[in-house]
Amino acid sequence: VLTGDREAFDSVLRAHEDRVFSVCLRILGNRDNALDATQDTFLTVFRKAAQFQGRSALGTWIYRIAVNTCYDQIRRAQRRPVEPLPDHIDPSDPNAEERIESAALRPEIDRALATLPIEFRNAVILSDLEGLSLPEVAEVLGVPVGTVKSRVFRGRRILAQRLGNQITP
Amino acid sequence: MHEHDLDLIAALADGSLDDDTEARALVESCPECRAEYESQMTVIRLLASTPGAEMTDAERAAVHRYLWTELRASPARSSSSPWYRWGYAAAGLFVLVGLVAVLNGGLQLGGGESGAAESFSEVADNATDEGGGQVPLAGVPEEGSGPTTTAAAAAESLPYPFSDYAAETRAKRQDVDAATAPTARVEDEECLERLGLDSQQVVDRLDLDQVYLVLMPAEDGAGETVTFVALGECRIAYVDG
Repeated sequence: VLTGDREAFDSVLRAHEDRVFSVCLRILGNRDNALDATQDTFLTVFRKAAQFQGRSALGTWIYRIAVNTCYDQIRRAQRRPVEPLPDHIDPSDPNAEERIESAALRPEIDRALATLPIEFRNAVILSDLEGLSLPEVAEVLGVPVGTVKSRVFRGRRILAQRLGNQITP
Repeated sequence: MHEHDLDLIAALADGSLDDDTEARALVESCPECRAEYESQMTVIRLLASTPGAEMTDAERAAVHRYLWTELRASPARSSSSPWYRWGYAAAGLFVLVGLVAVLNGGLQLGGGESGAAESFSEVADNATDEGGGQVPLAGVPEEGSGPTTTAAAAAESLPYPFSDYAAETRAKRQDVDAATAPTARVEDEECLERLGLDSQQVVDRLDLDQVYLVLMPAEDGAGETVTFVALGECRIAYVDG
């Protein structure tokens, strides 16, 4: 990847695309936006491959780009007028049913996650949903490990309150 | 609960304590602490059991199509993304390697590392002998039309999407399992300096650590050329694979 090997790019894309998409979907909460963010993430990965210093794992570096891409998208969206959500699924969309099914895997969790402040949400997503270690999350988010611990802990606390009796100890 | 207690509970929940004796004692002796810990663990278990989202096949295809289209259409940004330009040159060289192999009566790329290394050295030598070790990139003025045409044609006919090209290349490189072979990074900068190279110039790996395609400034200063260089003496770090 570092040397611009297109085969390596291809294998990197296939190895990481689903996890990047998953993270983007959970951060952004919208499938189309997550696809856009996934595309932008890998464009950035490919174009900045030579800047990867190898000080962290490649996957961690890609996650970091993905999270920053999501931040950018959120910032851009905040500058745009709010568009009303569609109240129906376009019947001409052949993937509509599949999207609904996929999005409904754990809707209560997605809703609860969406209520978390973005800093808490990202820390919890990376740590508890994506399974990154706390130092890896710190690397991705560019904050100290102690900050990550605090964010994850407080994020879980809020989630526990939001999910209430929907979760079984 | 004190801040210290919360820290202990968080660390216990994260599994980041080397010695969890104090934290476990706290949880056992303090009902409020136990409730906090169990609440954390419940959320952890719940989130861990949540499957990750995946793209549908159609979405994945659309993402790939977008990416390869964008990356192929980015020559104007080649200064910041030279891999694209190099990738085309490398594609031309793969074809050239094939041609050289055919001309040499069937070069055996497989058959063990030592044999492969020797064969690749021969390829490098042959390439040097036949074309000054340099194959022009498409569009770069160069004397002699044979290699130029080959490289340019190969670049223009690069299969799309790239995954097809990758599969084809793997099939050609019989001695290297490119699907599992790592991407190389040259870490021994001094070694590169002795060879008069910069690590950013190493654009592709033909053999595990023997012969590389290297982007070089053209001797006349007009554009760049690609040459075979044996880097077996340099230390290589594998960063992916």
